[in-house]
Amino acid sequence: MPPMNDPEAKKRAARETIDILHEISTLLNTDLDRQSLSYCVSLIENGVNPEALAAVIKELRARQERDEARLGA
Amino acid sequence: MSNTRNTRVESALQSLLERLVPQQYHNESEADAERRWEDANVLARNLVNAEPESGTVEDVNLAADLIKEKLLRGGTERRDLERATSFGNLYSRLLSQPVLGQKWGILYFLHRIGEDDGIENGDAQRASQQEAFDEMEVDEPVELGRKSTAKKTSYDDAFARDGLPRMPRAEGPKSPRPPPVRDRPVPTRQKSVPEAKPPQQAQSAAPNQAKPGESALLRDLPFTLQGLSSNNLPFGDDLALKLPANLPTPLVSLLHTLAEPALLYKSLSQFVESEDVGGLVSQSLRSAIGTELRSYLSLVAQLEGQIRRALQQLDDNLPNGGLGKAGVTLKRLVVWTRDATTGLRLMSLIVESAKGKKGGELISLIHSFAISHGDPFVHSFAERLLSNITKPFYNMLRAWIYDGELEDPYQEFFVFENRDDRDGMGVGAMSVWEHKYALQSAMIPSIMNADLANRVFLIGKSLNFIRYSCGDSAWVEKHSRDASRELSYSDPASLYSSIDSAYSTVMARLLSLMEDKFALFTHLTALKKYLLLGSGDFIGLLMESLADNLDQPANSQYRHTLTAQLEHAIRNSNAQYDDVDVLRRLDARMLELSHGEIGWDVFTLEYRIDSPLDVIVTPWASKQYLKVFNFLWRVKRVQFALGTTWRRCMTGARGVLGAVSDKLGEDWKVARGAMAEMIHFIDQLQWYILFEVIEAGWEGLQKAIRKPDATLDTLITAHTSYLRAITRKGLLGGGHIDFPSQLHELLKLILAYKDAIDSLWSHSVDEFGRRQERAAKIETRTKAGRWGLTEADDDMNSSFASTSINRRSTREGEIDSPIPPLIPLPGGPAAVAGNEAAILDHLRLRLKTLRGDFKTKITALLGDLRSQPDTDMRFLGVVMNFNDVYQPATRRRARTGEPARAKA
Repeated sequence: MPPMNDPEAKKRAARETIDILHEISTLLNTDLDRQSLSYCVSLIENGVNPEALAAVIKELRARQERDEARLGA
Repeated sequence: MSNTRNTRVESALQSLLERLVPQQYHNESEADAERRWEDANVLARNLVNAEPESGTVEDVNLAADLIKEKLLRGGTERRDLERATSFGNLYSRLLSQPVLGQKWGILYFLHRIGEDDGIENGDAQRASQQEAFDEMEVDEPVELGRKSTAKKTSYDDAFARDGLPRMPRAEGPKSPRPPPVRDRPVPTRQKSVPEAKPPQQAQSAAPNQAKPGESALLRDLPFTLQGLSSNNLPFGDDLALKLPANLPTPLVSLLHTLAEPALLYKSLSQFVESEDVGGLVSQSLRSAIGTELRSYLSLVAQLEGQIRRALQQLDDNLPNGGLGKAGVTLKRLVVWTRDATTGLRLMSLIVESAKGKKGGELISLIHSFAISHGDPFVHSFAERLLSNITKPFYNMLRAWIYDGELEDPYQEFFVFENRDDRDGMGVGAMSVWEHKYALQSAMIPSIMNADLANRVFLIGKSLNFIRYSCGDSAWVEKHSRDASRELSYSDPASLYSSIDSAYSTVMARLLSLMEDKFALFTHLTALKKYLLLGSGDFIGLLMESLADNLDQPANSQYRHTLTAQLEHAIRNSNAQYDDVDVLRRLDARMLELSHGEIGWDVFTLEYRIDSPLDVIVTPWASKQYLKVFNFLWRVKRVQFALGTTWRRCMTGARGVLGAVSDKLGEDWKVARGAMAEMIHFIDQLQWYILFEVIEAGWEGLQKAIRKPDATLDTLITAHTSYLRAITRKGLLGGGHIDFPSQLHELLKLILAYKDAIDSLWSHSVDEFGRRQERAAKIETRTKAGRWGLTEADDDMNSSFASTSINRRSTREGEIDSPIPPLIPLPGGPAAVAGNEAAILDHLRLRLKTLRGDFKTKITALLGDLRSQPDTDMRFLGVVMNFNDVYQPATRRRARTGEPARAKA
């Protein structure tokens, strides 16, 4: 990856990237908001296993659902 | 793992969890909420800290493809298509973004997250995932997962095991509870994977042992590509490659792609090494394919070198052994072998379709790839093959057009030798030219057009003919020594030019041989002269000298008399100046006795033609000549007979006939008229045949023969059409109107009429003699002083009459008469003597009938002639009826008119 010496440009590029990713994620119905998505991106950029991350998110959502069902009932 | 990274991960994770885990439900205790938060944290750390180990296919394209596939999975509905398209746009934009280092990861992550929706077995999936993470969960949904395992193995293989990082196994320092390594396959979605699937057991047992890594596969691949079995990729018994079990689908599909050249190579090398001898062209196909295979092997060797180098650089620390960095992957191999695979595929296609074909067909087959295939690769490949394969073909061609020899042990050339006919046909020139060789159009390779092939065929045939039939092999050898040139596929221009030059040389040589050595034209002229009655003096003399002889019955004809008369005719006519060789061939002989009863019918002249001229003057042609000769001979004979009779009448008119004109003058007048009619008819007929038909045909023949590009075949066809024209126009052809029999009838009538006139003549002579005798008697008696006529004269008269009849019959025998005595005489001569007047009446009646018949027949003939399409034949009709004496009707009317006339 070519190094980005201009922080402004870097920021803009990053925003753009996140924009694109967000669009993809809405296309895919991931239910991730922009903020979460950017967290995920930074996690993955830092070497977190994407599969595992996906699993975590799903699991957490499932639990939440369960909890809500339990507690709500 | 650096510290900064850890902290960054930590903070990002925390903020993510904060967003994901709800703070506290309103009816939930704080402890519970706390526990929930803890759980989530633990879970997240466990998973996140599990480092990706290896075996990851870090391919951004793969992830993108997965997403696209997923988007499209709903079918080809419009919405799906739109979504897929917009994803494609986004994806390409993403690729252009320089910021991200793990694009594939993010995409894959999104893909996994997004999987939740719209998947039927989402529950099962979630359940099994859950089960993987949380051992406290009940095992209930696993059943479901397992059930679908069988179907989904391959896909699972692709993504759960190898294509992506495996579940964490090693306990990290932060993980309080290691998650169990159950490694259930995660059923995702159904996808059928064709062929050669690894056996599906041993899935869950020990996947890690059974799975050869990409590097191992790479190590084995060079062997596989050469068709050799290796540890991981053994070949089955018959052209099948066993893939190891438990490979992820992308690898499997790559291996499928790579297996293709391997299997093709194997089958092709089997073909190349196969023992069966399919002919020279197939042998050379085999060798050409062998050459191609060798170049393929050298490619494999290069690949092997690359693989070796790459494998040496492998770094065990890097994910997937750092294969991606080393520059050699299975995908690369696929790309590198692509061209070779196409070539192999093409060759195997050729080999498949070449089964059962040989020689020219085979060349045509490959040539069709070279000319009609749009792919330049295929085109050049086929051209390359062709230049090798056609070598034996061009050798055959060369031997054929320069030596006239067929060097074709496997019947691959488009000329083949007719071996069966040989014994039946004898070894005459005819058989060499017409039957020994034949052109087989199916075997003409498409690199030659039919015209060229025909030329080639003619060249070889002519050479053969020159060598064997004309006995001029010295020239053939010289020709082959001088002109012989290497022919090859790569140089079609020189091929054409050498074929052309060989063609013209050989044809010219053959023609000059025919002309000079075998004196073809002399013989043709002689045939025309003698058999087509071209030289009148000879024929006239022959006829005159043979006339008496031929009046005899057929069985009393002797060949030696005939030949003696023939010799006589030759000696005394201009024929004596003709070539000795020509005269030697001329022969008089008799046809089989069945042809007729008297000498005229069976006599024939013959002109012997021997090899090699019988190529042109075929047995069929000889027969035609004979037919024409017999017809002309008959016409000539009728003319001759008529002429004789006419001469007698003319000379007698002043003497004998003048004396009896009071009694027979009227008869003679009519008879002369009829005879003149007949003579006119015969003259016109003969003139027409000799000048309009034969001479015109001869003119055409000369022209055709002198044509600059004449070949032996031209000569043959020209001669054949010459004869055909003669027989057709000469009223001998068997069209729908039967001219020959009509003419035959007419000639018979004329002869009969001529006989009747002869009878009339003798009758007149008798009458004349009687009168003279009477006058003499009267004179003597008067001189003696007695009465000129007494009663006793009546008796004398009768006895005299009987002797005169006798005399007449002997005279009649001398005159040529093919027809037995015309009037069946009632009773013996004694009775005739009394019936002098009756005989005359008979004679008159007979003359009248014959005259009527002749007129009817000639009218019919003229009617037929008028309806002929040929102008010459119509012209004959006009000439015969120039002053409209006859009223020719069309055939139909003539037919209906005939019975009426017969009644009248």
